[in-house]
Amino acid sequence: MKAWRIASLVVVAAVGAWVLYAFAPTQYGFYPRCPFNLLTGLQCPGCGTTRALHQLLHGNVKAAFRLNPMLFLGLMPFALFSAPDFLRGRTPAFIMKPWFAWMCFVVLTGYWILRNTPLYPF
Amino acid sequence: MNCPNCGTNNLDNASVCVNCGRSLMAPPAQSYTPPPPPSYGTPSAGVPGPTIPNYLVQSILVTLCCCLPLGVVAIVFSAQVNSKLAAGDIAGAQDASNKAKMFAWIGFGLGLVVSIIWFAMSGAAFMQGIREGMANR
Repeated sequence: MKAWRIASLVVVAAVGAWVLYAFAPTQYGFYPRCPFNLLTGLQCPGCGTTRALHQLLHGNVKAAFRLNPMLFLGLMPFALFSAPDFLRGRTPAFIMKPWFAWMCFVVLTGYWILRNTPLYPF
Repeated sequence: MNCPNCGTNNLDNASVCVNCGRSLMAPPAQSYTPPPPPSYGTPSAGVPGPTIPNYLVQSILVTLCCCLPLGVVAIVFSAQVNSKLAAGDIAGAQDASNKAKMFAWIGFGLGLVVSIIWFAMSGAAFMQGIREGMANR
């Protein structure tokens, strides 16, 4: 990856982090809303990510985890494992494995259904 | 000689493949009914020859950020790309890859449209609030 791309990524991430830190998503309406939640009132697998990142930037790990546990259990390990390959412009080998793709499907849909039921623990 | 169907190495004078039974006397290359794997030397199972993008990351991002069921459909096709590649079905994998790409883009587009409509509506409500605030002052 070229240096200017890394630099622009860092700048965008820094600005995004500052906006997320300074303006609570629960109080300011300029953040993009989840279209699925907007239309159905149900939670999608990604709902709570913005609020969770806001809490995380304020050091409230527990509150962030409660807002979207899948962010910590799924997305973060995925990002950690795949980042070295993606930064080199390659596709990580496990992404092309059948078990991994089907696992993503099962976990995401399972989580999606579960978090809209009273069984959901958070 | 190697069997054109399964790649098994047979004796040079063999008339049928010892592994899959395909006739080795058949006229070469042009008249195969099933499309042969691109490389005859290596068995195709498990080792994908060409790289076919599965759009899994894009599909997951569409599911998480645009939150539409279309993202999940795209994930299913992504997973099919992997399964078909592992099975050596290159054409099927390419087909599933195209569908994964299509559904990911449709999901992204629909999410964008809903978001834009919502921004327009909330923007209008915001201006309304300002006007009322001015009037009440």
